[in-house]
Amino acid sequence: MIKYLLYSSIVLLLIACGTAKRGEPAYAPLATTEPAVVQGKVVFDTFCHKCHPGGEAGLGPAINNKPLPGFLIRFQVRNGLGVMPAFSDKTISDSDLDVLVAYLKTLRKAKEDKPAQAP
Amino acid sequence: MVRPLQLLIYFLLFLLLSGCYRTRSSKGGGDLSRLMENRLVNPADVELPAGYKAEVVATGLTFPTDVAFDAQGQVYAIEAGYSYGEEFLEPKLLRIGPDGSKTTIATGAINGPWTGINFHDNAFYVAEGGQKEGGKILKITSDGTITTLLQNLPTFGDHHTNSPAIGPDGNLYFSTGTATNSGVVGPDNYDMGWLKRKPDFHDIPCQDITLTGQNFTSKAAETGEVKTTGPYLPYGTPATAQQVIQGALPCSGAVFRVSLEGSNLELVAWGLRNPYGLTFAPDGQLYVTENGYDDRGSRPVWGTGDYLWRIQTGQWYGWPDFAGGLAFNGDRFKVPGETAPQPLLASHPATPPRPVASLGVHSSSNGLDFSTAAAFGHVGEAFIAQFGDMAPNVGKVLAPVGFKVVRVNVENGAVTDFAKNKGKEHAPASALATGGLERPVAVKFSPDGTALYIVDFGIMQNTGDKTIPLKGTGVIWKITRTAL
Repeated sequence: MIKYLLYSSIVLLLIACGTAKRGEPAYAPLATTEPAVVQGKVVFDTFCHKCHPGGEAGLGPAINNKPLPGFLIRFQVRNGLGVMPAFSDKTISDSDLDVLVAYLKTLRKAKEDKPAQAP
Repeated sequence: MVRPLQLLIYFLLFLLLSGCYRTRSSKGGGDLSRLMENRLVNPADVELPAGYKAEVVATGLTFPTDVAFDAQGQVYAIEAGYSYGEEFLEPKLLRIGPDGSKTTIATGAINGPWTGINFHDNAFYVAEGGQKEGGKILKITSDGTITTLLQNLPTFGDHHTNSPAIGPDGNLYFSTGTATNSGVVGPDNYDMGWLKRKPDFHDIPCQDITLTGQNFTSKAAETGEVKTTGPYLPYGTPATAQQVIQGALPCSGAVFRVSLEGSNLELVAWGLRNPYGLTFAPDGQLYVTENGYDDRGSRPVWGTGDYLWRIQTGQWYGWPDFAGGLAFNGDRFKVPGETAPQPLLASHPATPPRPVASLGVHSSSNGLDFSTAAAFGHVGEAFIAQFGDMAPNVGKVLAPVGFKVVRVNVENGAVTDFAKNKGKEHAPASALATGGLERPVAVKFSPDGTALYIVDFGIMQNTGDKTIPLKGTGVIWKITRTAL
């Protein structure tokens, strides 16, 4: 129990201090070799970007710096939470939700230094 | 295997991190902007992808809104002559020297804002917003002579006459914004300033529409009298069920084309709230940015983005009953804790299409242009200037939205940040106390396509009951690629 509380406290501290910026232009471009990630970005930009621009805070909170596991991302998308609406499988299909989760997990890690010159 | 305690902690974290929206205060760029008379300007504070650099072209501009290039590639800029906050000045066309010097070429009447300019065949074409006299399309020759090509456009309200663009057919395309946020005149329009000047002004549909009969009550700002107002009607005039509102041209929230002499006005598209930026892609397709609804006024709408549209001739795009192609029905677009907006029209002229791209809620996605040069990169993508939120006046946001330039893949709607400020958090430069971007309002590529000019309107603060724009804080930036 103490271990979990400690982990939770550390996670919360990291979240409070961590920037939500990911990918371009602050960091190297998101790796786009995986088709699921490319498709996931399109799903994200269609349904999520307007409230969480690039995964940062906007109308809604930042999601780039939240260590939520995939099953909770799916739960929140399907059920909504607070003022966030639920997205049914008619709006975001199960396969689109899979690639959305893949994209969000990749985006979360997109903090590699960008090269000094254009790629 | 996820253990029950771990699961419980995940759920608690999940609930905690999701936060309680209603208890959090607005922290938008409008809220956080600082009124700095001597604005800092430093290209090193602008974050760009690897291989690009920013330079300053000119500073000290008052409410600049666009740039243009003449046949020799000389840079010109317009100063709007009006800003939200009821700041009325003379609009100007300026020639910008290589050293950032400014020479006045033409001075307009106090009827701004001048929202856009384009150079074509040895003349400038300017959209004049029309806060005092109604919108106009102007032609300005290099000696500064101003000729009015078109006037009396119905844009005395929240949004203006916008963005002249010359089409591949040789016609001039422009747009008109709507008078109101979502179809109903109310105290928010008094706060904007225009309802005092034009108490009978309201939105005008482009063709006959039939109303559901919804009415909205509000207290008149000056007298406290309760007013009942219907959509597309003057403040204090109620609607009835099945009432027909006659369509007319010119109308509100629409895209038009006219000849370069200002004749043969034709409707291109309508049902757009504030179609601000108009640009033709290299393939000749017209694209338009639309500023989405606000959480304000008698019929507030929550959670709608700004949109990039591919314009089809004759199409209706959904205002005031759709956002981004989605209908107002059920609880959709409901302001938290309030009732959801319901349709105003008994039947809709068409089913709107879906947008090319959805952009940040309240991002104020404005001027756009397409990259055409491999030397700059991202050929075929649309670059869009995001002026940034005017929170809390337009509604609450949890962090600054906009205040940057994004690029959009128009084939799949993918949106990627291109130019924004350095720092742990994203915000306008004045809020960060740095010398980066404040409020990008337009982007335009140089004639050879190798440089992207960003027009930065300058500092504007929003306090809930006031909008405070700061004169002399506008900047023009230039972005080029340093390596291939």
